Amino acid sequence: MANIAAEDLTALTDSLHRLLQDKSTETDVRRTMETPAGYDPELWRQIAEMGVTGLIVDEAFGGVGAGPVELERVMEEAGAVLLCSPLISTVLAAGLIQALGDEAAKTRLLPTIADGSKIATVALTGAKGGWTEDGVSVSAAGAGDAWSLTGTASFVTHGQIADVVLVVANAPDGLAVFEVEPKAHGLAIKPLPTFDHTLRLADLTFEDTPARRLVATRPVWDAAEEALDLARVALAGEQAGGAKRALEFTVDYAKTRAQFGRLIGSFQAIKHMAADLLLESESATSAARAAARSLADGDKNAQAAISLAAFACADAFSTITATAIQMHGGIAFTWAHPAHLYLRRARADAQLFGSSAAYRERYLEALGA
Amino acid sequence: MADGNAVTDADLRDEVRAWLAANWTPLPARQPGPGGAGWTISPEQKAWLEKVVEARWAVPRWPTEWYGRGLADAQARIVEREFAAVGAPGTGQDRSNLWANTALAYATPEFKAKIVPALLKSQVNMCLLYSEPGAGSDLAGIRTRADRQGDHFVVDGQKVWTSGAATADYGMLIARTDWDVPKHRGISFFYCPMKQPGVEVRPLRQITDESHFNEVFITDAIVPAENLLGPLNAGWGVLQTALAYERSVMGDGARGPRSGVAESATEEPLIALAREAGVLGDPVIRQEIAKSIAYKKLNALNNARAKAELGQGTSSSIMSLGKLAMSRILHEEARVRTLILGAGSLLEGKDYPRAEDANFLTLNAYFTSIGGGTDQIQRNIIGERVLGLPREPEVDRDVAFRQVRGNT
Repeated sequence: MANIAAEDLTALTDSLHRLLQDKSTETDVRRTMETPAGYDPELWRQIAEMGVTGLIVDEAFGGVGAGPVELERVMEEAGAVLLCSPLISTVLAAGLIQALGDEAAKTRLLPTIADGSKIATVALTGAKGGWTEDGVSVSAAGAGDAWSLTGTASFVTHGQIADVVLVVANAPDGLAVFEVEPKAHGLAIKPLPTFDHTLRLADLTFEDTPARRLVATRPVWDAAEEALDLARVALAGEQAGGAKRALEFTVDYAKTRAQFGRLIGSFQAIKHMAADLLLESESATSAARAAARSLADGDKNAQAAISLAAFACADAFSTITATAIQMHGGIAFTWAHPAHLYLRRARADAQLFGSSAAYRERYLEALGA
Repeated sequence: MADGNAVTDADLRDEVRAWLAANWTPLPARQPGPGGAGWTISPEQKAWLEKVVEARWAVPRWPTEWYGRGLADAQARIVEREFAAVGAPGTGQDRSNLWANTALAYATPEFKAKIVPALLKSQVNMCLLYSEPGAGSDLAGIRTRADRQGDHFVVDGQKVWTSGAATADYGMLIARTDWDVPKHRGISFFYCPMKQPGVEVRPLRQITDESHFNEVFITDAIVPAENLLGPLNAGWGVLQTALAYERSVMGDGARGPRSGVAESATEEPLIALAREAGVLGDPVIRQEIAKSIAYKKLNALNNARAKAELGQGTSSSIMSLGKLAMSRILHEEARVRTLILGAGSLLEGKDYPRAEDANFLTLNAYFTSIGGGTDQIQRNIIGERVLGLPREPEVDRDVAFRQVRGNT
């Protein structure tokens, strides 16, 4: 996967940072998360113009042609402000289309995903939410141009707002990827109530739903893993960015809140928590960036690096946001304070694409144990 | 720092390579000293260091008048990479040699001329005379005194946790030279000659049943005035430089098992241990192993990122994070080793090397979590210097040291 020049990356993250500081404030996040769509179409258009939605899409199909390193940095910015957007779903879908090698599908789907005019997602796990090959829960029947799907896919990210729905399903000849019209006959899309209000999830139930089978030039689960790896790196970046920001506003608070005639940050009880969290935050950033670099380089240890980032970033984000509430005290127990929004995002991110425990197991396997 | 005759990266690389090709031959391995204390340096190693220093590769970042080349950090790293590529030691001392860096920055011209080359060539042995029985975490509370008498100082007091004291030629000493000012402002920093009647060294037995450290009893010891580093009573500032180098060394690594019974060279030690113990399939143990390995790997990634981002400016704050991380790594690894062994960890001795290692590592982890500043002190440093949190109120901060409550 390609990389863009370092100065271009800095320019991109700088302008995204400025845009998000302006358009994804806490007030914006709170307003957007209460809308059914769960994202701000105008802001989505603006980040698309910057190239963010097409970041990992090949230039030949209207994208930027960047890779995991750039994706991870962009997601740090998005995570820092709890951006409400279907970015992660876009990464998964574009990644899957590119990994499959279906040239017609690339031409048909990638340009509109890259320019942000269509939102795409991938349905690939069942009710257990493991995002593993044996967790694929939809079956396909048919042949040639006439296929139909049956079964329920769960935890489909942004499934209720997607224009392009890709489904990983078990066909008689093995795993395959299908494209389904959101309005197709026999498709029921049930939005799920999410603990993280900035996230959108849906169950997709198929009953003889007509579907178009995409060509795969390689084993389908390998392609799915390649797309998932991009999503894992993206998520790790989001977690690292969110963790860093949550620690920043918590430390800032400890420098201004006084009790017993002292700023609370001068108490070792608070200071030591902050120091421990800094170690977690820095480690998350290091892990996310190292995973991105290792995936970009096609390093043989990439699987270990990605698994490490997956659980280290998930655990860091969860620990930091949970401890942040404790360090603030009562103020952060109120709905009006943003700390719980970060905790909610951290708890959501810690489950997406697999649990920390599952990634620790993958990590050991990657190390040969 | 450039000396006007800037060299290109390629020319520099060629020059180092050519020099190494002409001069380097592998040396015999270094051996631990008696009782595992310190390291002995062979004549071959000394001869090699001499060559490296004279050829100006030992401290390439330093100025040309002090054995250096005035190179920027990026170019000095080229030199380091070339040395590392052939396994040759001796360069990079401008980052790693705490003794020489401290002396270069603060010693008097007369003393510097004498001591710096000797330090770079490892011709003198050194030790640290900082901590005292009554001044551990609160290092500025030292009560060893140095009183000026003519052209020298007379030193009295007791130091502790001194490694290498028995073989040292000099100790980097902090002593109180003014008792009527607050504690940080009455301390001076010396190179104290160790081989004199007023300095008595006694080994200290550790919880690991080893003796890597000593107590040093100092009675009317003589320190020439030219051995003062930095201005009189400004020793606390000198100490901060020296401590930063020491912490950077501690954050970079620590001792492994001591049984000497080989562990797998290709596999993570915890994985190999669990495989050997037949518990690698235990899902609980697998989770714990993954966490423990991850702590170690994350610290390595942090160090790599800090080095890449900071270039030369060795920041004590980032290194403080590394030391705190290392402390967790060591305690956690020891805990997981114990978990893997289960009841096997009840035993000790040479017939039970895995238990010996797990138990040793459990105890020796405190070397890192207490030594060089406890974890709790490190958290204060990180909180205050990195995160900018307000300081803890200090009751002894603006009081003449004479009036500060001590241990009685």
